[in-house]
Amino acid sequence: MDTANTETEILMSDIGMKFNSGPDEVTALTSVSLDIKKGEFVSLVGPSGCGKTTLLRIIADLLNPTSGTINIGGESTKQARLDGKYGMVFQSPVLYEWRNVVKNIELPLEIMGVPKNERLERAEEMLEMVGLKDFGNSYPGQLSGGMQQRVGIARALVIQPEILLMDEPFSALDEFTRERLHEDLLNIWRRTNKTIVFVTHNISESVFLSDKICVLSPHPGRLSAVVDVDFERPRLMDIKSTPEYTSKVFEVRSSFEGV
Amino acid sequence: MQEVNELNKKQKNMSWQSLSSIIYPAIFGIVVFVMWQGGLLNILLHTDTNTLPSPSRINSIIMDNQAKIFLNLKATVIVALVGLLFGSLIGYGIAIVAAQYRKWGAGGITLASAFNAVPIVALAPVMNNLTKHISSSVDFRSMLAKTLVVMIVCIAGMSVNAYRGLTELKPFSEDLMKTYAAGNFTVFKKLLLPNSIPYVFTALRISLPGSIISALVTEYFSEKVIGIGRQIRENIVTAQFATAWAYIIISCLLGIVLYVLLLLVESVVMKNRNRK
Amino acid sequence: MAQIKKKKNSSTMVTLLWTLAFFLIWELIAFWVESSASIRSPEKVLPHFWKIVAVAFDGKTINGTDTAIQLVWLNAKVTLIRSAQGFVIGASIGFLLAILMSLSQIIKKIAFPYLMIIQMIPILGMAPILLSFTGDIDSSRIIIAAILTFYPVATNTLAGMEAVEKEKHELMYSYAANKWQLYTKTLIPASIPYFFTGLKVSAPLAITASILVDTLQGGIGLGCLLSQSLKGAMTRYVFWLIVVISAAIGILSYLLMGLLEDAISSHKKAERACKR
Repeated sequence: MDTANTETEILMSDIGMKFNSGPDEVTALTSVSLDIKKGEFVSLVGPSGCGKTTLLRIIADLLNPTSGTINIGGESTKQARLDGKYGMVFQSPVLYEWRNVVKNIELPLEIMGVPKNERLERAEEMLEMVGLKDFGNSYPGQLSGGMQQRVGIARALVIQPEILLMDEPFSALDEFTRERLHEDLLNIWRRTNKTIVFVTHNISESVFLSDKICVLSPHPGRLSAVVDVDFERPRLMDIKSTPEYTSKVFEVRSSFEGV
Repeated sequence: MQEVNELNKKQKNMSWQSLSSIIYPAIFGIVVFVMWQGGLLNILLHTDTNTLPSPSRINSIIMDNQAKIFLNLKATVIVALVGLLFGSLIGYGIAIVAAQYRKWGAGGITLASAFNAVPIVALAPVMNNLTKHISSSVDFRSMLAKTLVVMIVCIAGMSVNAYRGLTELKPFSEDLMKTYAAGNFTVFKKLLLPNSIPYVFTALRISLPGSIISALVTEYFSEKVIGIGRQIRENIVTAQFATAWAYIIISCLLGIVLYVLLLLVESVVMKNRNRK
Repeated sequence: MAQIKKKKNSSTMVTLLWTLAFFLIWELIAFWVESSASIRSPEKVLPHFWKIVAVAFDGKTINGTDTAIQLVWLNAKVTLIRSAQGFVIGASIGFLLAILMSLSQIIKKIAFPYLMIIQMIPILGMAPILLSFTGDIDSSRIIIAAILTFYPVATNTLAGMEAVEKEKHELMYSYAANKWQLYTKTLIPASIPYFFTGLKVSAPLAITASILVDTLQGGIGLGCLLSQSLKGAMTRYVFWLIVVISAAIGILSYLLMGLLEDAISSHKKAERACKR
C-alpha cells in the first residue's frame, strides 16, 4: 500500500512460551521476535503444533509469555485489552445462540456500557459492512456457516478495535464461501484500516490476504521465515492464476523447517 | 534455586488440588456428624433427641436388630433389583422394536416416557388391585405388585434411553453395514448393541435410585408389612423414631452401595470397550 | 419445508394413535375383568376408563356436599399449590447453589460429592420422618418437594455453566468483562436449557412427593383422599379418578416446563418457524 504507515503496532522480542513444568514441560515457542506495523495484514502460518495460535493468544493477553517482551503501541497487552484495542474472531463463530444477530453484535458494546441507541446504530452499520443488512433479526441457528462467521467479524469490529486477531476463521468453511469471505475481508480491511493478525494453516490463503507472512515451524515452535507479499492491492481472485502467485506459494512452502 | 522452589510449589499445588476435593467435603461431613452426635443439630433444627436421635444411638439399634433389619432389607432389595432387571430388559426390548419400526416406534417411546411423569403413589395401589386375584398367597402377590411398580418405572427410563442408543448412530455407520450386506441380526450385534451400551448405563444410573425409591414407596401401600420403607413408616406411626432412623440410614447405605457397584460395573465394561 | 411439517404432524398422529391403543388395551382388560366369574367387584381391579370419566361428571354427591370431581379437584388444588411452592423454592435454591459452585471452587468441592450422594439415596423414603420433624403436613409437603427439586436443578445448571465453550470465556475476557457481566451475559443464559432439563426431571417428582406426604396423615390433599378412598370410605371410582388425575398432573407438569422453556427462549421459536 502506498499510504503504508510505518509506525509499529505490535512489537515482540525474544518471546518464549513453555507449558507445564517438570517432566511434562513442553516448549511451545522459542525466541520469536517480530514487529507488526500499524494497518498491516500479517499472517501466522504453520502446521499444527508450531505455536501460531499460542503466539496469537500471547498478543491477545490470553497467555503471558514465559520469556521475552511484547508491547502494543508502547503499552502492555493487558492495558491494550482493557482499552478495547482487540477484536477477536475464532475458528468457530462463537455466537450466542439465544441472541439475534443484532444483539450478538451489540454484546461487546453492552459490556463496555455504550448507550442503547448508539449500540443499535453501530451494530447496524457493521451488519451492512459484512453484507447481512437484512438478517439483523435472525438467530444464529438460522444462518449458514459463512454468514455466522460474518456476524463474528462484525462483532469483532463493532468496538472499533485497532487490531483484529483472527484464529483460523475460515478453516471450517467450504472453498467457495471461503473465497468470497477472503475478498470481503480485504474490502473491510481497506475501509477500516485495521491491523490484522491472521492465523492459518492454509498457505494459499495467507498469500492471497497478507502483506507479510510469518512462517512458524514446530518442535519447538519458532519463527523460521518472514515472507513479504507485495502484490498490488486491491487484489482480485485472478491473481491466483498468475505465475508470481504460484511462486510465492512455493516460497512460503519451502521455508518450513522440520515438517 | 528460586526456580526449583517455584517448581516444588507448583507440584504441591497440583496435589493439593486433588487432595482438597476429598478433604473439604470430608471436613464438612465430620463437622455435621460431630454436631449431630453432640446434639447441636437438634438445637439448630428445633427437634428433640427423640425425633432425631444421635448417630451412636441409631448405630446401637442397628446392631441390636440385625436379623430383623436383614429380613426387611432382603425384601426391599429383591423387589428393587428384580423390578430393575425385568423392567430394563422389557424397556430394552421395546426400544429394539421401536427402533426397527421407527415410524411407529418414536410415538410409542413418547408414550413410554409419559409414564416417567406418573406419580409412583398413584401406581402402587393400582398394582395392588390388579394382582389381587392372581394368587392366594399374600406374600407372593404383594411382592408381585411392588415389583410391577418398580418395573414400570424402569421400563420408561430404559426404553427412552435405549431407543436413543439404538437410533443415534455415527453418520454412515449404518450405510457401512449395508455395503457389507449385513443381515439385521449382524447389524444389531455389531453396531446397534455396542452403540447403545453407554445409553443403557445412563438409564441404569437413573433407574437404580428410582427402583429403590419406588420399592420403598410401594411398600407403604402393600398388603404385607415388610420392607425398609414400610418399617420406616410403621415405626414412625408408633413413635419409634430411633428405629425409623435406623431404617432410613440402611436405605441410604443401600442406595449408595448399589450405585457404587453400578459405577464399578460401568467402568469395567467401558474400559473393555475402549481397549477394543 | 412442507414435508418437514407433514412429518411433524404425522409423528404427533402416531403418538396420538399410541395413546388410543393404550386406552383400548385398558378397556379390553377392564372388559375381561368385568366378565370374569371369580372377580366379584371389578371396580376394585380395573374399571372401564369411560366409567371413571362418567363418575367425574355424573353430578352425584359423594360426601353429601361435593361431587366426585369437585372433591378431587378441591384436594388436588391443595396438593398442587404446596408442591408448586416447594418446587419454586427448590428450583431457586438449586439455581443459586449452581452459581455459588461455579463461583467458588471451595463451595463446589464441598457440595459436589453430597449432590452425588443425594442422587443415590431414597429421599422420598424419608418423607415420614420429615413429617414428624415439622409436625405440620403443609410445610412437610413444601420441604420435601423443595429437596427433590433442588438437586436435579443444581447439578444440571452447573453442568450447563461448565459446558460453555472456552472461546466464550475468552471473548468476555478480551472485552474486559467483569464477573457480573460474565454471568448475566454468558453463563446464566447459556445454562438455561440445562436448567429446564433439571426442572423437567423435578416437576413430576415434586408432585409425587406432595401426594406421598398427603398419604401419611389425614386432612386435605390428593394423597389423603387417596388413602380414604382405598379404605372404602367412598365409592372406588374416586380412587380411580385420583389415579387418573394425578397421572395427568404429573405429565402436564412436565409438558408445562417444556412450554415455559419455549416461551422464554425466543430463538428456539424463531428457528422452528424457519424450519417449517
